[in-house]
Amino acid sequence: MVSTSPNAAGASSPAPAMKPSSAQLTTTKTTVEFRAALIAMAFIAAIPLFVSNAYWLGVLIVSMYFAILAGGWNLLAGYTGQFSLAPAAFAMIGAYTTGLLATYFAVPPLLGIPAAIVVAGVIGLALGRAVMRLNGPYLALTTLSFAEIMRLVISNSIDITRGDLGLSVPGMINNRIVWYYFFLGVLVALLVGFYLLLRSKAGLFLQAIRDDEVAARRAGVDVVFWKTAAFALSAASAGFAGALYAHFAELVTPELGLIGQTGLIVSMTVIGGIGTLAGPIIAAFIVYVISEWLRDVGGYQLIVFAALVVIFARFFREGLWGLAKSGYKKFSAKRGTST
Amino acid sequence: MSAINVDLAVNGLITGLFYALMAIGLSLIFGILRIVNFAHGEFYMVGAYAYTLIALAFGVPVWIALPLAFLFGALVGWITERTLMRPLYQGYTSWGLMRDEYAVIVTFGLSLFLINLVDKIIGPYAYRGPPLVETSRITLGPIMISGHRLVAAGICIAVIIGTAALIKYSFWGKQIRAVSQNRLGASLAGINTAKASAIVFMLSGGLAAFAGALLSPVINASPDVGVFPAVKSYIIVVLGGLGSVPGSIIASLALGVIESFGAVYLSYQYRDAFGLILLMLFLLFRPQGLFGEKGREV
Amino acid sequence: MITAPRRSASRATLASAALLALTLGAQAADPIKVGVTITQSPPGSVVMGVQVKDGLDIVAKMINDAGGIDGRPIQLIVEDTQGLPEKARAAVEKLITRDKVVAITGDHQSSSALAGLEVAHRYNIPYVNTNAWSDVVREKGYAEVFNPGNYNSRVGASAAATMKALGAKRVVSFAENTDYGIGLAKAIGESLKKVAPDIQYKYETLDRASKDFLPAILPLRANPPDAIINIMLPPAAYIMMNQVYEQGVAPSAKTWIYDGSGLADYPDFWQNVKEAGKGMLVFGLYHPKMKQPPLGKTVGDLYTAKTKNEPNRLLFQAADSLFIIADAIKRAKSTEPAAMIKALEETKFTGTRGEITFSKEKGYTYNQWIEVPYVTFQLTEVNQKVENSALVEQPGQPLDPAKLWKPAK
Repeated sequence: MVSTSPNAAGASSPAPAMKPSSAQLTTTKTTVEFRAALIAMAFIAAIPLFVSNAYWLGVLIVSMYFAILAGGWNLLAGYTGQFSLAPAAFAMIGAYTTGLLATYFAVPPLLGIPAAIVVAGVIGLALGRAVMRLNGPYLALTTLSFAEIMRLVISNSIDITRGDLGLSVPGMINNRIVWYYFFLGVLVALLVGFYLLLRSKAGLFLQAIRDDEVAARRAGVDVVFWKTAAFALSAASAGFAGALYAHFAELVTPELGLIGQTGLIVSMTVIGGIGTLAGPIIAAFIVYVISEWLRDVGGYQLIVFAALVVIFARFFREGLWGLAKSGYKKFSAKRGTST
Repeated sequence: MSAINVDLAVNGLITGLFYALMAIGLSLIFGILRIVNFAHGEFYMVGAYAYTLIALAFGVPVWIALPLAFLFGALVGWITERTLMRPLYQGYTSWGLMRDEYAVIVTFGLSLFLINLVDKIIGPYAYRGPPLVETSRITLGPIMISGHRLVAAGICIAVIIGTAALIKYSFWGKQIRAVSQNRLGASLAGINTAKASAIVFMLSGGLAAFAGALLSPVINASPDVGVFPAVKSYIIVVLGGLGSVPGSIIASLALGVIESFGAVYLSYQYRDAFGLILLMLFLLFRPQGLFGEKGREV
Repeated sequence: MITAPRRSASRATLASAALLALTLGAQAADPIKVGVTITQSPPGSVVMGVQVKDGLDIVAKMINDAGGIDGRPIQLIVEDTQGLPEKARAAVEKLITRDKVVAITGDHQSSSALAGLEVAHRYNIPYVNTNAWSDVVREKGYAEVFNPGNYNSRVGASAAATMKALGAKRVVSFAENTDYGIGLAKAIGESLKKVAPDIQYKYETLDRASKDFLPAILPLRANPPDAIINIMLPPAAYIMMNQVYEQGVAPSAKTWIYDGSGLADYPDFWQNVKEAGKGMLVFGLYHPKMKQPPLGKTVGDLYTAKTKNEPNRLLFQAADSLFIIADAIKRAKSTEPAAMIKALEETKFTGTRGEITFSKEKGYTYNQWIEVPYVTFQLTEVNQKVENSALVEQPGQPLDPAKLWKPAK
């Protein structure tokens, strides 16, 4: 059974006689978020009808790249509590996998991209397994070192990767609009996948582990399996995004794996609302499009976004999504009392 | 030992001294709050700019600009503690149980904020700080060194010894150590833990800023100048055992020497990767570091 | 409210059909937009970016003050590449698709230029390479790319000739990890093989973002080479030179230091290097004692009036880049890419440094002004201005090592 309408969550309705189980609550919450995200995607799908400028379409395509990364990182950090600082590194790994395969073995993108997903996923699996028992600062430091080692290796293996000079990658699609819907299709597919995962038993296990790992283990949840799986899945989706970006930009450089890029992904997730399905993905668009928009008026956007990260982390854990939700509740409560 | 090995050892030890200034502060913060401050490199950056700009723009003598840079870093450290760190021990973050995650996000965000703020206000250009001593080449027996590097290394040794003594023997040093060992016990014994945390952040910010100031004639202050030294100090505190000050000092010197020899005998290109690989190995197999006593908390 | 989107949709279809035409030539718009990609923030060389921008601004103003090109003023639209391929790619993409520029110029770093010109090639927009030295830029054989500036093979040949004249037996290059750095380090090696096969040569690739090159320098102390060649840009080049000097390796009685990157005329050169620069031999693309056409004098004076600095090579290269774009538009009477590219191919324009023409020969000479003038000069005092330095070698006028200044120790 799918959940009730999102409006039912409004504060005006009287408290239900029976307290719903936490499983039901989670499912309802996720479904509301999923629907909101789908509405946002429908809106984004309509944009090319109004915007034909190749530049702005390009900006939106890069936003989708970040939306995939933010969504994947959110799955790991928001739903399982593993704060990896390596999402950009996995995007870089994906981009170089397909880039190197194309350069040395003339592998076409349609095989290179799946290969990138697999390579990023397998490395993610290994790393996830290795950091299994680490938490908080230890996990952050280990994944940060991993990301930096990967970047150093790629940028210094000049004879193979061309290092900081960048590697030219063959294009895949010649038409911007087609690229646009291709990226959007991937984003929606991942969104649906994440939703189905979170709504299933797996989603409950993951969140149980996040909230209390010891209790989850006692309750019989296979903690090792689920944590590793989440890590691998998140890495694979980042690798997917990176591989797509490589063929879109027709150039890969180690910049893709910079800590600053991870910073951007974390910013989008925290601003949008960590641990909410829709927030990070919608925030990726907001943050990136506003950045491009404000480029010409001084470029203060990064300061503002970084400040927002700190403020949201300090005061509003659910980010913009949480703010919008409580705003909606207040609004419907007011309407409820006035009528 | 052949001449080149003496050179490498001396050069590595001097680099290690600068690393130690950074790492001590990071280690103290971990000791008292059990968090890693991801904005630590930006304290260093603030110091490099404070020294360079005070000396160049206002014509203040370098020997006054240097302590001013320390004070500036201490101020930034204090503000950070007051505004962002208190929830960690007074329990009113928006994150509830996820205390570690809050610390990662908030210090990471602070780091991005400071880098971009400086980039916008002061500009992306690199500024070279004025050297403490103008002599560009001094010969000391078999080794050659620039006057500035020699003097800076001397100051470094004095500051490190001073800090270690302060922590060991002073009133506040003892209180800080008490809080690091057992926060609850210390607060029951009447120690003001909030004040101890504030002092640790001021000391940590000041030391990192001081390191930035000392190195600014070599590294040229730029907004992202702190990123790399911060990574080095993460490696060091893990190697030395998170929270252990003597461990950090020894690990700093060791890392300096390892990198110096590794660059020549193993690979110049990958010299920055050695420390990171050590860091990962330690975190995975010996998280208490070389000298730490406590294991990780699961 | 269904009509609104539908109307917009049909308009969008029209617009997307017109998109190609729009990007290919924005003729109806009044000012002629020229895209400029330069480095305005690190890790690329900001100093170079400033010099290039000054040169372009001066020429744009000269042309506009004289009534523009057939009445249409030139408008420069500047984007920052940070010297990074990824940023350069995005910048050129933005200039072409959002600003609809008719040509791109200004880039002064090979790695970013190589990424940028790929985009220009894809959209078929003329790309005038101001100062990317990498031979690969030419070897791609793109019809859109024109090179009125210097190229690595030319520096390689000049450096090899100088090393031979100095009587060096062992030479070490410190090259930055970019297309320019690695390309030039290899070009010098190849030229040396031809003119002086006895010279032992090796190069070390250094990370331009690094702050400490001692690990690469220390091994040279025990047995210093006869010459060290710098193939890095500031600020890394300054740090490397200071450390080479600190360690007593060069410049010394045994070891020359030779600059193959055009450091000496940067305004912050002496502020950063002091004694480490005294005695340095410099491959120079501009020297006040060189012969120059009258246009060079005009641009140089305008530059000095504007910035209070001495003229420099990048100023003239940037000026020539914009002059030949303007000249091509004038002759083509059009800003259509095809017409402009044809006009650029037929360029015969006396700019600030000489008469510029483009070779059609494939390889590193493709669309290249072959006879880029150069000299070798030596800085003999700390804080010496380039105009007071010793001009020691010009084409056809070999170097005499006996006349050079050398440190006593």
